[in-house]
Amino acid sequence: MPHASLLVPKVSEMALLEVQGVTRRFGGLPAVDDLSFAVNEGEILGIIGPNGAGKTTLLNLISALLPVSAGTILFRGRPITGMPPHAIAEMGVARTFQIVKPLKGLTVRENVAVGAMFGQRNGGLPTRPALAKADEVLEFVALGARASAAVTSLTIADRKRLELARALAMEPALLLLDEVMAGLNAKEVEWAMGLIQQVNRRGVTILVIEHVMKAIMGISHRILVLHHGRRIALGTPPEVAADTTVVEAYLGRGYAERQRAGA
Amino acid sequence: MSRRSPFAVRGSPDGVRGAVGPPVLLAVIGVVVALLFPAVATGYWIRVVSNIFMYGAMAQSLNIMAGFTGYADFGNTVFFGLGAYGTALLTSKAGLPVVPAVVLGALVGVVLASLMGLPLLRLRGHYFAIATIGVLEAAREIIANVPFFGGGMGITLPISTGAPEAFYGFIYYVLFAVIMAYIGITWWLSRSKFGYALRAIKADEEAAAVMGIHTTRYKIRAWRLSAFCTGIVGGIYAYWLNFIEPPIVFDIMISIKVWLIMLLGGAGTILGPLFGAIILEMLQAVIWGQFLRGHMLILGAVIVLVVIFMPAGFMDLVRKRFSLRAVLADLRANKI
Repeated sequence: MPHASLLVPKVSEMALLEVQGVTRRFGGLPAVDDLSFAVNEGEILGIIGPNGAGKTTLLNLISALLPVSAGTILFRGRPITGMPPHAIAEMGVARTFQIVKPLKGLTVRENVAVGAMFGQRNGGLPTRPALAKADEVLEFVALGARASAAVTSLTIADRKRLELARALAMEPALLLLDEVMAGLNAKEVEWAMGLIQQVNRRGVTILVIEHVMKAIMGISHRILVLHHGRRIALGTPPEVAADTTVVEAYLGRGYAERQRAGA
Repeated sequence: MSRRSPFAVRGSPDGVRGAVGPPVLLAVIGVVVALLFPAVATGYWIRVVSNIFMYGAMAQSLNIMAGFTGYADFGNTVFFGLGAYGTALLTSKAGLPVVPAVVLGALVGVVLASLMGLPLLRLRGHYFAIATIGVLEAAREIIANVPFFGGGMGITLPISTGAPEAFYGFIYYVLFAVIMAYIGITWWLSRSKFGYALRAIKADEEAAAVMGIHTTRYKIRAWRLSAFCTGIVGGIYAYWLNFIEPPIVFDIMISIKVWLIMLLGGAGTILGPLFGAIILEMLQAVIWGQFLRGHMLILGAVIVLVVIFMPAGFMDLVRKRFSLRAVLADLRANKI
């Protein structure tokens, strides 16, 4: 099993993020339903589930783009429910968007620099150091060659890298990734997996929403499975892959069988 | 493609620092010509160029809120009017000298922007624009109906001593200094953290928020700055005209003209508003001279042509070096 070799021995037992009984209703419909789980400092927590399971809604609740209907979210033990999005960013939480949001009118470098100017926990960098930092981060995500380009000239894959670079420039403690691998080919997925693990080794706790099973099973320490806004499983990838509820709801018997055959 | 125009349309420190020669030389020549102009020109043309500076300054002020931050303040003339009335009242009734009166008048606009900020800046796009027009109209009616403000009779400012020519020359240089200062402010905006926050807000307010930008705080600050700059111009205008009444300074047509100038020159650019003012004032001077009846029609036609052929403004044409191919490509891209 490829997973064991990717375990990073630094996952602590300290909960960096705690979601306690969180519910979010749209009209009468709960998109997230009495959800509770904790993310340990230093881990990569994968989040999987069918479309409409509430994954993106969960990220929107954590980053405060949506208010909760019930429940609390704690970051480093402090309740962050009710705080505005920029305050949560300042505490060290960065996120990407499933449908990327490049800042048009600014170059690639400037996009990333904005993250370094405003998102860092010590109040952010001034313009010039932020632009220099942006170049560093762009090199890390292999976008250095496009630093002076306008964002509208980027391909989708490059825009996803930009999205990630902007979040990384904020030097977050917690990184929320929303389907960064959608639309990437197999080679790009491998590369993205490596990148995420590299970021994690630098001490960043990561929440990854993904549909690419190979990737998320390969990099996550634990996986949270959502279905209709509820948690139906939380455990290591092998545990989750073997869980019958998960197989029924999402993975399908074919996947479970392939896993058993491969192990 | 990475070679940026020396006019630095977006004006960011990013991009190739190319040849410094031609644009700086042109700018110096322009400044020298502007400084020497009153010595050789007639009163009529001094007034035309003074108007260019004044409207250019208004457009630069609007640029801060609309071009950089992306909030369509269609009622920004309210700050012009408040600046004018503040100056008029403080000089005529309180006997203050002009300079502090102009500054205090502009601060009235800042107070209004601060009060309006929280409720109005929650509104998006068209709703915000309509709300600001509402504020402008309300301000005019209030001032016209409250006797203390002179009501419909208007206010006459204390006339300055000295020959009219000297006075109009003085106004010319004051307005020139103001537009130069505002270009400086815009240039600073293009490189500063504050400016980046505004541009991020304009590009995508949600993304800006999750990146740590306190959007409400920055929007209100931008509006205060825009209000202050507009108010200063209003105060100078009142002093220039010597007499103001509500329909003159709370006129929506001023907003329309300033918007047209900003769009014509290029919203979000540094020099766009000034060039827009030059182009439009020249156009108006020519048209008013030739077509007594048709000028509103022609103004309307200009608006339509700008929207179709120069949606990004004059500075964008400069950046593309007036390439016909680029214009045609834009037309195709916009499916016209």
